Amino acid sequence: MKVTFNFAGFLSARSVAGDTIMELGKNKKVWAITADVGGALKQFKKDFPDRYIDVGVAEQNLAGIAAGLALEGNIPFIFGMIPFMVMRACEQNRTAICYQDLPVRFIGTGGGLTSGGGSTHNAMEDIGIMKSLVNMTVLSIGDPNMVRDIMMLSIDYPHPLYLRLAQGKQDRMIYEPGKYKYKIGGGLTAREGKDATIFCHGEMVFEALEAASILEKDGISARVVDMYSIKPLDKDLALKAVKETGNILVLEDHLMDCGLASTLSDLFTDSGVYPKKFKRLGIPQIYAGFGSGEELRKKYGYDKAAAVAAVKKMVKG
Amino acid sequence: MADQKEVKRLQKLAYDMRKKLLNLCGSYDGIVHIGGDLSMTDLLIGLYHHGLNVDPKDIKAPKRDRFLLSKGHGAVCMYIAMSLRGYFDYDKIVKTYAQLDSAYGMHPCKIQLPGVECSTGSLGQGLAIAAGMAFSAKQKKEPHRVFCMMGDGETCEGEVWEAANTASSYKLGNLVGVVDRNKQLMTSFDGDYMHLEPYADKWRAFNWNVVEIVGHDMTQIVDALDNLPSSTSDKPTAIIASTVKGKGVKFMENDLGWHAGALSKEDMDKAMADVEAGYAKIGGN
Repeated sequence: MKVTFNFAGFLSARSVAGDTIMELGKNKKVWAITADVGGALKQFKKDFPDRYIDVGVAEQNLAGIAAGLALEGNIPFIFGMIPFMVMRACEQNRTAICYQDLPVRFIGTGGGLTSGGGSTHNAMEDIGIMKSLVNMTVLSIGDPNMVRDIMMLSIDYPHPLYLRLAQGKQDRMIYEPGKYKYKIGGGLTAREGKDATIFCHGEMVFEALEAASILEKDGISARVVDMYSIKPLDKDLALKAVKETGNILVLEDHLMDCGLASTLSDLFTDSGVYPKKFKRLGIPQIYAGFGSGEELRKKYGYDKAAAVAAVKKMVKG
Repeated sequence: MADQKEVKRLQKLAYDMRKKLLNLCGSYDGIVHIGGDLSMTDLLIGLYHHGLNVDPKDIKAPKRDRFLLSKGHGAVCMYIAMSLRGYFDYDKIVKTYAQLDSAYGMHPCKIQLPGVECSTGSLGQGLAIAAGMAFSAKQKKEPHRVFCMMGDGETCEGEVWEAANTASSYKLGNLVGVVDRNKQLMTSFDGDYMHLEPYADKWRAFNWNVVEIVGHDMTQIVDALDNLPSSTSDKPTAIIASTVKGKGVKFMENDLGWHAGALSKEDMDKAMADVEAGYAKIGGN
């Protein structure tokens, strides 16, 4: 049955980042700022109106204001849609924020092809762009409790930090709350396995875990490693998985050319520790167009079925 | 009306500064952005030696006025204005300017040179950063001002007007934009391709308090700075200063080539003579 639904409801859907910024807001240094994407900040602007800024649709200006706030000792959290936060304001992010190594936090929603808005709104280059900025830290997180924990501990982090979320609201819980201690620069073995490793980040961790369950039924033991911190990278965790399982699949909702897969390739080249077999699944060099995230992952061959097939091929030849 | 003794003092400083700029331009092997340096010399003297509440001995004082040089290619002009105020040693600027590991780069870097409020050089970015600093001061109820010096050419950048829109919307009365309106871009005159007029009206349309002055008339500069609205007023202020690129050196004035350059000994002497004559004309020694 069709129900009435308007944009106000969509924008104000509870998000873990919006809830967490309320806790962070108790610290007087914390500001929440946005370029007309403040739906999740409804409560923040009520409780902390003098530390809330909405500049309208003006992302470059917003990045500059963030730099100015941070120069004065504040910790601004920018809330925005990834493509505009990352790309429209790219040079401001680099020169006004990263060059001066300022503690600005970028909370971006709509990672990968999850936005549903088509190629203008898809976020497929963001990790590549953000990780190339000197001083920038890059995390991609799917689990809402991990988002919360990382946001809370970012308060003491002295550098710019980019947090890539998937939808950013009502994302599926992957980990039991409180089970793991997360850290900037960390990674996590979400499932043990010995025949192959699936490296992933963000909401693709969920897909990878499901793929691993399917593979188990075929007698293949696949490890799942959540590389939620892409820069800095938990190199020891990554290389350990390469040494112990040999077969490596990278599964990500990002261009394969400049995301986690290429970050790991660089690590293998630099360290001289090479996988026996290496396969990457993600967005090819294409503007992906319209459809839900799930449909697009299937269309471009990086959903759980594709992951299962790729691992099977590596392990069984 | 500005105290004329103070005006004379500042005119003398501006004269010294022009000579120091030319001296650097004659001794450094690479290019110096001398055209835009000379157009804002009087303004920077007015700011660093009269208008700004700053103390070179306490560069982190919370109550200090903030100054950002959005037209970062005029860095050396700022370094010299600051050195005349006691921040830095002029000889060190001349000795190391733009060289390997120098604190005195072609564009200012706050990490390399404490006392600089913000690293700049990418045009059009200063005003938004200054607005961020003004937001912070307003929220903390700190009475200081944030000044941002822009070139008129860089105000072709959209980010400037995004920031202008935000600053008036949020009533940032503690923000002062100063525009060095020399009517030249790097490779063209205003009006050749881009038509910036009606320039002051554009700032008025963005709901800024606008003060128009001649940026080489020290009395007008002092008056503009002395009569700024309170930092708690409800409008940011734009001081639109009409200037001449290369001001004070005849062969540089109104010549696009002198956006930047270097000087031979002979041309430096010629330029110095012009500066001497200009100073004599306004009653200097």
